Amino acid sequence: MMSGLLHHLLLVLNLSFRNPQGIVYGYLVPVIFLFAFGSIFRADTPPLLDHMGQIMTITILGGACFGLPTALVAERELGIWRRYRLLPVPTAWLVFSTMLARALIVASSVLVQLALARAIFGTPLPTHPGAALLAFLFVTAAFLGLGYLIAGLADNVPAVQAIGQCIFLPMIMLGGVGVPLMALPLWAQRVAGFMPGRYAVEVLQPCFQAPSPLRGAAFRLGALTVIGLAAGVAGTKLFRWEPGRRSGSARIWVTAALAAWAAVGAIAWQTGQLKPVLAQAGAWSEITEAQIAEITFDNLPNDNDIVASLAPPTLDPAATADLAPKLAAWPPGRLDDAGQSIRHLVALAAIADLSADPREAVLARLIFRQINTEFAPAEARQALAWIILSPEDGQIIRKAPELALYRHPPERLVRQRSVIYAQKYLGRLLRKLPE
Amino acid sequence: MRNTPAPSAVSVAGLRKHYGATEALRGVTFEVGAGQIFGLLGPNGAGKTTVLECILGLRQPDSGAIHVHGLDLRTHAAQAKLLTGAQLQGAALQDKITPRQALELFGAFYANPYSAGELLGRFDLGAKADLPFATLSGGQRQRLFLALALVNRPTLLVLDEPTAGLDPQARRTLRTMIRELQTEGRTVLLSTHDLEEAGQLCDQLAILDQGRIIATAPPAELIAGAQAPSRLTVRTAPPLARAGIEALPGVLACTQDGDTWTLDTQSPNRLLAELVRRADEAAAELLGVELRRPSLEDVFLELTGRPWAGAAQPGDAS
Repeated sequence: MMSGLLHHLLLVLNLSFRNPQGIVYGYLVPVIFLFAFGSIFRADTPPLLDHMGQIMTITILGGACFGLPTALVAERELGIWRRYRLLPVPTAWLVFSTMLARALIVASSVLVQLALARAIFGTPLPTHPGAALLAFLFVTAAFLGLGYLIAGLADNVPAVQAIGQCIFLPMIMLGGVGVPLMALPLWAQRVAGFMPGRYAVEVLQPCFQAPSPLRGAAFRLGALTVIGLAAGVAGTKLFRWEPGRRSGSARIWVTAALAAWAAVGAIAWQTGQLKPVLAQAGAWSEITEAQIAEITFDNLPNDNDIVASLAPPTLDPAATADLAPKLAAWPPGRLDDAGQSIRHLVALAAIADLSADPREAVLARLIFRQINTEFAPAEARQALAWIILSPEDGQIIRKAPELALYRHPPERLVRQRSVIYAQKYLGRLLRKLPE
Repeated sequence: MRNTPAPSAVSVAGLRKHYGATEALRGVTFEVGAGQIFGLLGPNGAGKTTVLECILGLRQPDSGAIHVHGLDLRTHAAQAKLLTGAQLQGAALQDKITPRQALELFGAFYANPYSAGELLGRFDLGAKADLPFATLSGGQRQRLFLALALVNRPTLLVLDEPTAGLDPQARRTLRTMIRELQTEGRTVLLSTHDLEEAGQLCDQLAILDQGRIIATAPPAELIAGAQAPSRLTVRTAPPLARAGIEALPGVLACTQDGDTWTLDTQSPNRLLAELVRRADEAAAELLGVELRRPSLEDVFLELTGRPWAGAAQPGDAS
């Protein structure tokens, strides 16, 4: 039986590579997308790096939403699946073999894109190939589930195109797959939270940049799993091995599959996963008051907790006599770029806290006082919001010998702790948190 | 051809199947002896394909029992699959697949298949072995499907309208190949709506009409049992006189069309001899004589009251 399935897998691959239409859709179109992105984002340094997650998602989405169901439905119309039903092997195994072949085709197409991006645009390869592979598997499995459902719904090959576009186009336009999330209005960013495309990009993109790409990605991977599983179950219920009209229960199963999208989006919204995504690279000044208003201040640690402690506003001047002037003169907090200066100051509070420095609470209060007095209120709000919404952006310091902070905690922890301090500061500036 | 009853290769009892409100099969019962070529004969929509698909496990009957070589399909469908090969009606393969690839693929699912080379040679597909399926002619495609049906060395072959849509030469070739399968000891169960094919190829026929078996017997027996008269057509110059023709012994009915007489009779030998004698007496020259014996078409007409051609099926559900 395994020999048969291996034969089937190899045959599907063989036939795909001998089909001109398959080559066009499987390889040429993804390359065209790569060049389209390359021409739009050629000024980035390095080019395309910030968009590789999108490019990969488009390729996987195309292979899954069009390639897989087109092959399944075309073979069903030819009566090939009727013939397969006569074999002494469960039909589900042949479906799996077909999906595996499609996953391999998509993987090869993605590899071609990565190689061309590297060769032509100089785009770096994923910094974490293992994480990239894992993310690819999750995204591909989820989208193949969708493709399988489309095959169950479509009565013929033209119907595959119609149904596939109903999934493909919204994700391209509003789902953060084609148009970057940061370029979308807030309402569209929230809508994207109800689509798997956003989560696909969000697990693939960090594999090119972030130090720990899949850390904190549990929700996104879970979202892809839930959406893919729901579609896969619905597709199995609607699977047909012979031509003919779909069953009357199609609406129920489509509703069930879409309910998974709705559930994922609702949970993401409720748990604060749908934070506004901002334009990158020093664009903190473009943060709007509407985006700032979206930020929540729930579940912050108390000011006298071990984590992110903050002294009361009334400080003993004698206790700060030595520290305050040094802080006021600290160069990283006095850059021309107010946003980066505030990020450095907040990081200083985070380093002291992570280093368990005895001055941590007092220093945190002094930093807040300095942000309040040295920067325009609007700038302070924007910069703090930037730290919260884009914790990975900007430069970060990990030690400050000028202030006797010599330990250098991991950058990841400094950035995480900076978010908590920024929330505490911004909440107070907005009077959403009590002193 | 073998007519001797043999151990049952297929046993179908009380098979019923609905498609929505349409009752496609209404208690179909028949037995296929091992080693026979058994034909399911019926017009389009009679239920032939549904019967075969139930036997192949592609459809679940509403009720009734099917046994393949004694194996009950309700409990031993997997084992029965290993003993069965099938060629389905209207089947196709991927345009780009080659006959060799197809045979290797389907053979790979079985423990002891025929090799692709063996089957390509046997079914005269060697020259087309590595060409895409789309380039094969209708006859070559049917031969390939027959080869695919044989790939697992089955003892039972189920063929759904195997010669439909083929030219006469391709039909003859395929019929020869089907007979060869029988000589190897395999049982062949086929469906057809081709009366000539049914009469020439099958040892045993079951006539299916509107989801019911209305007769089961060897073709010759079915025809012999028909009440329809033989039809003798005679052309002479000058034409024979009506009075003389009507007085001939055994004439049941007669019609004249110019110099041609058409006579219905139950005793064609005697009538023909008498006709020749009368023509001699009248100094008339015989220009043509044609005898048409009762056929399966007549059998169908007798059994259903409808002519074979255009025998439309209410609620067509093949």
